[in-house]
Formats: sequence, structure tokens, C-alpha cells
Amino acid sequence: MHKRFLALSTACALGALALTACGSGSDGGGADADGKVTLKLVAADYGDKESNSSRTYWNNLATAFTAANPNIRVDVQVVNWNDIDKQVRTMIQSGNVPDVLQTGGYADKVADDLLYKAEDVLSTGTRANFIDSFAEAGQVKGVQYGIPFVSSARALFYNKTLFQQAGITQPPATWEDVRKDAELLKAKAPGTTPYALPLGPEEAQGESMMWELGNGGGPTDKDGAYTIDSPANVETFSWLKANLVDPGLTYANPATTDRKTAFADFAAGKAGMLNGHPSLIQMARDGKVDYGVAPIPGKTGPLKSTLGVADWTMAFKKNGHRDQIRTFLDFVYAKDNTLRFDETYNLMPVTQDTLREMTGSGKHKDLEPFFALLPHAAFYPLGDTSWDTVSAELKKTVGTALTGDPAKVLGALQKKAKDTAADK
Amino acid sequence: MSQHSPSPTRGAPPARTPRRRGRLGPLPWIAPAVLLILFVVLWPVYEMVRTSFLRISTSGFVRGSAGLDKYRKLFGETDLGHVLLATVLWTVAVVGLTMLLSLGLAQLFDQRFPGRRFARWALIAPWAASVLMTAIGFRWMLDRTAGVLNTAMTNLGLIDGPRDWLGDPSTAWPWMVGVAVFVSLPFTTYTLLAGLQTVPAEVSEAAKVDGASAWQAYRRITLPLLRPAFLVGLVINLINVFNSFPVIWGMTQGGPSSDTATSTVFMYQLKATDIGESASMSVVNFALVVLLVLLFLKVSRWNREES
Repeated sequence: MHKRFLALSTACALGALALTACGSGSDGGGADADGKVTLKLVAADYGDKESNSSRTYWNNLATAFTAANPNIRVDVQVVNWNDIDKQVRTMIQSGNVPDVLQTGGYADKVADDLLYKAEDVLSTGTRANFIDSFAEAGQVKGVQYGIPFVSSARALFYNKTLFQQAGITQPPATWEDVRKDAELLKAKAPGTTPYALPLGPEEAQGESMMWELGNGGGPTDKDGAYTIDSPANVETFSWLKANLVDPGLTYANPATTDRKTAFADFAAGKAGMLNGHPSLIQMARDGKVDYGVAPIPGKTGPLKSTLGVADWTMAFKKNGHRDQIRTFLDFVYAKDNTLRFDETYNLMPVTQDTLREMTGSGKHKDLEPFFALLPHAAFYPLGDTSWDTVSAELKKTVGTALTGDPAKVLGALQKKAKDTAADK
Repeated sequence: MSQHSPSPTRGAPPARTPRRRGRLGPLPWIAPAVLLILFVVLWPVYEMVRTSFLRISTSGFVRGSAGLDKYRKLFGETDLGHVLLATVLWTVAVVGLTMLLSLGLAQLFDQRFPGRRFARWALIAPWAASVLMTAIGFRWMLDRTAGVLNTAMTNLGLIDGPRDWLGDPSTAWPWMVGVAVFVSLPFTTYTLLAGLQTVPAEVSEAAKVDGASAWQAYRRITLPLLRPAFLVGLVINLINVFNSFPVIWGMTQGGPSSDTATSTVFMYQLKATDIGESASMSVVNFALVVLLVLLFLKVSRWNREES
């Protein structure tokens, strides 16, 4: 009796396991029973707490959209940044593909031929409204797939109080200025980090590119071929090593220091200067830091074209909802909606009408230095389908060029990048 | 796994039912366990090996067979050499220190002293806490700006000012070894303590009567009798520490680059760039663990023969 009971319960347990394993099946495309179409939207969460979660924005937008287009419903799913890549990968692999996805990168999905071209899912008016440099950054081999959603640009932030204390009147414009100012800060403002250089895994690909741009370098050349170990880049890292790291003018171990540490230090008044983006404005204000913003210093003068970063929207082919997606995206990119999103999170627009509105309204004085930088922004080689992998390698390793031999570390990275590009 | 009884010749129908049940033997009863092993152990191993021969895109699409390319790529990694060396050093250092300290602790807890019960319970704490939590806890205690250990050591005059212990491999390794020993001590000490309690008191007393010094008695009597427990603790620790992922991942994530990675952590790092290559690293790791398990089986058999 006892044994039979045991066997029975085991069988039940196994049965339950098998059932739950199959339970995640999904409904594919096509219309619902009532002839209406449900679009599945997956978006990243730009909020840092429940009260400002992007879920609120998208739910309101979906309700307004369905009110205007009763035949299309939108199923909203908002995922936080740490999990969205993994979850999207699972969705794609299990065939439960979203119709519209808003996240950080698009090129790997183009490599697997999953996306609609931008021209298929955007009306002419909406397409013409994008700022050119962003629309171009959405292209893979000359065809646009990635649809920019929001953007930000980088600039130098400096702590005015610490600068005053060190007797510095002007923000640095050249690398030599950075070194001199950092030395003054080290002498006059002890206990602070003169220049916060985060080359840890969080965003080493960004910080390294900002420095490389200052020497006319960068991860790729004009034709898109990788040039990670170009003489300009090696010189950049040698300069950083000899002038900031070795004299102790920055963190002891930049290769393991993440951007969030640098931002937190700056917001706590413990860092003299660093490269930051607009979200640092609010952090510095909360920390009561009197900050200034200036263009990023280059080797001989400030950068003319700074690093621009964009997040992307893309439309998947799998469910065949092309026309409904087009209607939806035209709604998403209407000025009122993009403006509301950008203002909620202090982000920069990617469309011309919203940029005009934000520049002209006078409500965004703190963002003004960044607006000026936007049209000349330089981007990661986002359209290269091997960039995601190369970027992961850079994040992991490029910081060690400051402790080891720059030529050797960058050389090894270049070799990996070339192998990856050849493998795709 | 299952013991098949030798197939008997088919009998007459009336005798069939009991015969068949006899032929199946214990199979119906162990079948759930066997199925579980097939699904939970063997199937993932098969998938792991299969994945190591595939080309997989970053969004997870299989793009065909890779043959041995991923293994070639893995063995071409410049980091692999020092990662394997670090794995050996890490395992030897952590297991060696753990066994040494545990021998002393077990001896201590075997004595009668006031508060022994409390001390024995306290030793369980590092075992009861999640290893990942412990590692993250230590990471924050060692934090460059806010770390309590940094502050304490500065105030005690041990160091001049807060240091970034985990950012530099040469200081990160000793700290991680320390934390790994800390979390391995409870299990090992209790294993040895159990062994110590099997040492008959008469034998030690007899030695004392014969005029053996305490050290002589320990070396000649306690240690040899402790061998079975010692070997079990040693081999289980070897496997555990070799596979140890949370301590290193929680404290440095193997960085900068792969300078503080063991092969298990390195495998996880490879996942970010190439799933196939990561799988081939898993296969290599798996082979090494199988070797350790074979060693364990051999040692336990040797144990039995000796006793």
C-alpha cells in the first residue's frame, strides 16, 4: 500500500514535470477570434523604480492607440535591462516572437533575417522625420532595419567646486590640459579621484572609443573594417597609461572599475572630472554637486564629433503583421508621444520635430550642451553584425591595455575581431 | 544501471504473471529514478557535447556544424594556459589550507570546553549561508570606498589607506582563496570531527600509558585512524573547489579580463561571445571532473581494502 502510494505520487510528479515543460507553448501570428489583431510589444524598462517604470508609459500609449484603432490591440511586456536580451533570445528560440521590440541593439537579428526593413513598417512621413545620423546608424549594408528610439551623447562633466579649490578656471580642452588639471586636483583636493576612468566590463567599449576619437582613431575605419590596434589607438592607450594611470591620477585599477562606480563617485563629489551622459545630470543634482559640462577633450583640441548612443525599435517578420505594425509605429513616433517619453527620462530625441520642440521650449536648459552635439555624433559600428561579439570582447579585455602592453592587448583584440567578422 | 535477470525460457500461460513480475525485478521501482537520471543528468551532458560541435549565432540560432572548430578556437585562446594553471593553483591552495585548518579545528571541537556546543553551532554559519551571498558580502566589505574591512584595517594601521583589493589579481587571489577556505571549513571540519569520534579512547589511553607524547600519539595513532574521513573530505573538497563558481564570480567575475578566472569561470565568460566555444570548455571541464570522480572511487575502494 505504502509502496503503491509512493509510485503513484512519483508518477504524478513526473507527469506534472512533463506538463509544465510543455506549458509554455504559444500562439503564433494571425488574427484573434474576433477578427482583431493583437500586436506583441516587448520594451526595455528605463525607470529605476516601480513608480517611474516604462510600463506606465507603454500601457497608456497602448490604450490610446487601441482607442484610435479599434481593430488592433497591443500586448505590452516591459522587461528590465539586465534580463531583456536573455528573454528576447528565449522568445525567439521558442517561436514566441514579438511583433515590435524596443531594446539596445538590432544587428544580430538582421544576421538571422528576422526583421522587416524600416521602409516596410514606417510611413514616408515618419521616416523623413528621423535625424539623419541616427537613421544611418540603423543601416546594415545600406538597408535600414534598426529604427532609432531614444539617444544620448557624451560630454565631459567636471566638478566646479573641486576645480575652484585647485585653482582651475577653464575645463580642459586637450589631453595635456587633462593631465595638468588632474595633477592640480591631486595636489589640492586630496581624497578625490582627479579623473574617473571606468574601463571595467560595464561600458569599456564606450570609454575607450571616446578616448580613441580624440586621437582620430576608433574601433573601425571609414569602410567599417576593424582597426582596434591601429597606431592611433595604441598611442591613445599608451598616453593614458603613462599620463593618468601610472602617476595615480585616476583609479588604481581602471580595468575593473565600472561606469556606475565612476558616476556614483562624481555624484558624491569624490571625482574631479569624467565622461558622462545626460542621466548624470540628475545624479549630480541629487548629490548637490556643482557640475559643469564641456566637450570631451581630444589630443589637440575638443572632440568635434562625440560618441552618440541610441536605443532601437525593430519589427519582426514572423507573425506577418506588417500593416498593423506600420500603423502602430506611426503612432509611437508621433511628436507628443516621443516628447513625453524623452522628458520623463531626460533622454535625447531621435526625431527632428521633437528635437526642435525640446530645443525651442526652453524647458531643457541642462540638456542644451548635448543637443548641440547630437547631429555630429559618431556611433559604434552598430550595423556590423559582428559588433555585438566584438563589443563583448572589448568590454572584457580592453581595460587590461592599461596594465599590460597596449600594443599586445589591442593586437589580440583585433585578431579576435577579424576572426569574428570572417566567421559571420 | 539496472540489473537484468537472465531471460528465462517462456513458461506456460498460467505461470506468466508472477514470472514476468519476477523478470522485471526491481525495475518498476527504480524506473522513476532511472528516468530522472536520464533526463536530469545524461540528457544535458549529451546536449552539452552536441553544442560544442555547433555554430550558434548570438541570438541563439544554430547555423550548422562547426566540426572541431570550437575546440581549436578554445585551445588557441591565449588566456587558456594561465587559466588552467590558475585552476590548479587555486584548487591546491584552497583544499590544502582547508584540510590543514580543519584538522586543527576538528581537534579543538573534540575537546571538552565550556561553550563547545555554541562554538560547534557557530561553525555551521558559513555553511548555512549561500556561498554567493558570502562572496558578495566580502566584495562589499573589501570595497574601495565603502568597505568595512578597508576602514577597519586602516584604523588598525595595517594599511595606509583604503585599497582596491579585488581590482588587482595579485591581491584578489589571496582574498578569494581566503573566502573559499572560509566556506569549505564547516563541511571538512565536521567530516573530520566525525572521524575523530570513531577513534577508540582505549587506544589513545594505551599509548599514553606506554609513555607516548601528545604529538607522537596524534601522529602515530589519531592520524592513521582518521585516514578514511580525511580522504573523503579531501576528494569531495577537490571536486567542490575545482567547480567553485560563486566565490570567484561574486567577487571579481574573473576580471580584469580572465586574470582571476578558473576554468569554470572562464567557461562562463566565453558564453558572452561564443556559446559553442563555451560548451567545448564545459566538455573539457567535465572530463576533468570525471577524472576527479574516478580518483574518488579509487580512493574509497582503497579505503575499504585497508580497513
